[in-house]
Amino acid sequence: MSGALAEALNPALFWEYREILLKGLAFNFYVFACAAAAALALGLGAALLRVNRWRPVRWAGTLHVEIFRNAPDYVMVVWVHFVLPLLLGLAIGQRLEFPPFLSAVIALGLVYSGYFAETFRAGIQSIPFGQIEAGRACGMPERLILWRIILPQVVRRMLPEAVNQFVSLFKATTIVSLIAVPDLMYQVSMVTQQEMRPLPLYTGAALTYFAIIFLASSLVRAGAERWRQKVYA
Amino acid sequence: MGNWERMVWNQRHLLLDGLVVTVEICLIAFAAAIVGGLVLCLVRLYVRPLRPVAIALIEFFRATPIFVQLLWVNYVWPELFGWPDTFFTAGWVALALQSSGYLAETFRAGIEAVPRGQREAGLSAGMSHPLVFRRIVLPQVLLMVAPSLVNQFTVIVKSSTLVSVITVQDLMFQSQKIVHTWLDPIEILTATAAIYILVVFAVSALGKALADVLRRRYGLATS
Repeated sequence: MSGALAEALNPALFWEYREILLKGLAFNFYVFACAAAAALALGLGAALLRVNRWRPVRWAGTLHVEIFRNAPDYVMVVWVHFVLPLLLGLAIGQRLEFPPFLSAVIALGLVYSGYFAETFRAGIQSIPFGQIEAGRACGMPERLILWRIILPQVVRRMLPEAVNQFVSLFKATTIVSLIAVPDLMYQVSMVTQQEMRPLPLYTGAALTYFAIIFLASSLVRAGAERWRQKVYA
Repeated sequence: MGNWERMVWNQRHLLLDGLVVTVEICLIAFAAAIVGGLVLCLVRLYVRPLRPVAIALIEFFRATPIFVQLLWVNYVWPELFGWPDTFFTAGWVALALQSSGYLAETFRAGIEAVPRGQREAGLSAGMSHPLVFRRIVLPQVLLMVAPSLVNQFTVIVKSSTLVSVITVQDLMFQSQKIVHTWLDPIEILTATAAIYILVVFAVSALGKALADVLRRRYGLATS
């Protein structure tokens, strides 16, 4: 066992392939950035549907949230990659195929938009209605009320919850290797097939992800808290 | 609709077999995660010399993606510890590790929320420390964290789709097997996604209702 432990913690092999592994890690960050942008935009859209004054519109928002919040990430990734292009292809009468990267961004963006929508909605509903009425009484159009009065407060209130969701989203980017996006996990399994030494590679990957997520989430959490206290009494 | 019948309805035995495996692995992982989380949390709070170890484990389990942990347990553990010996075991162990980290923190918040005076009252009435914990602290903690437990269970169900990657024959595995046989993924993958969404929705709705009933009956305000 001590031999196996030394092998697992031996960083030499991980270091030897550092270039390709770092490139893989960069893909994790690309997927994360694009999916986060998509999830925030879609989530805000769905949240606005859920606070709309018309009931059918609210139902549409609720449906969006319940479908994507309850869908497992992996199932969504596989569905978007293998089924969605076929359905779109049938609709426009042409063969379609998504590159894996696009499928990964769409799938994770959709799933996390469900979570973000709930966070946005809670934030929006925590704004006292009197502020909106005050805005209307001053003659502000609804769009301006949203951008100037509601959203700045919502963003500050939802920040701690949103940080947790960004962390989960980053963790979820590891599964995109399963549809052959060349991320860190994909490269690790490729190198493992060449070298036949899974111990140092998988342990290295686990420690790398741990270090990134642990450091980033502690830093962001501390930074967000300070920013909130400075801007928001 | 011929495709739906051929590829979903006629394959229902495979899908049901898969669903049974999914339910099994989730329940085992959940039970193990509760035990593991409780142990980690108690060690962190009450066993001074082992505290740093518990904190390190909790942080490691929480900050590592489940997919990475799954492959790590599956490929590295057998050579390190000679265990787990089956893919099924590796699957539930990985799911349980991840959740035990989160549950340890949930339990800790619950334990710290029980007023100190209650523990002191128990001790001064002559109850031993373990008895105070079992009769006074733990029941309240379980009621308090019930909604988080339900939430964590839905996380386990969602993550359990990944065990198909290490060839555990769960619902996702069976559905992909059908895809590979018929090479026509539309109906079967859509049905699989719908089943998972409905299962997770049902689990969280039922779990929340149950937690509310328990909390109301035993006198904790519902949220």
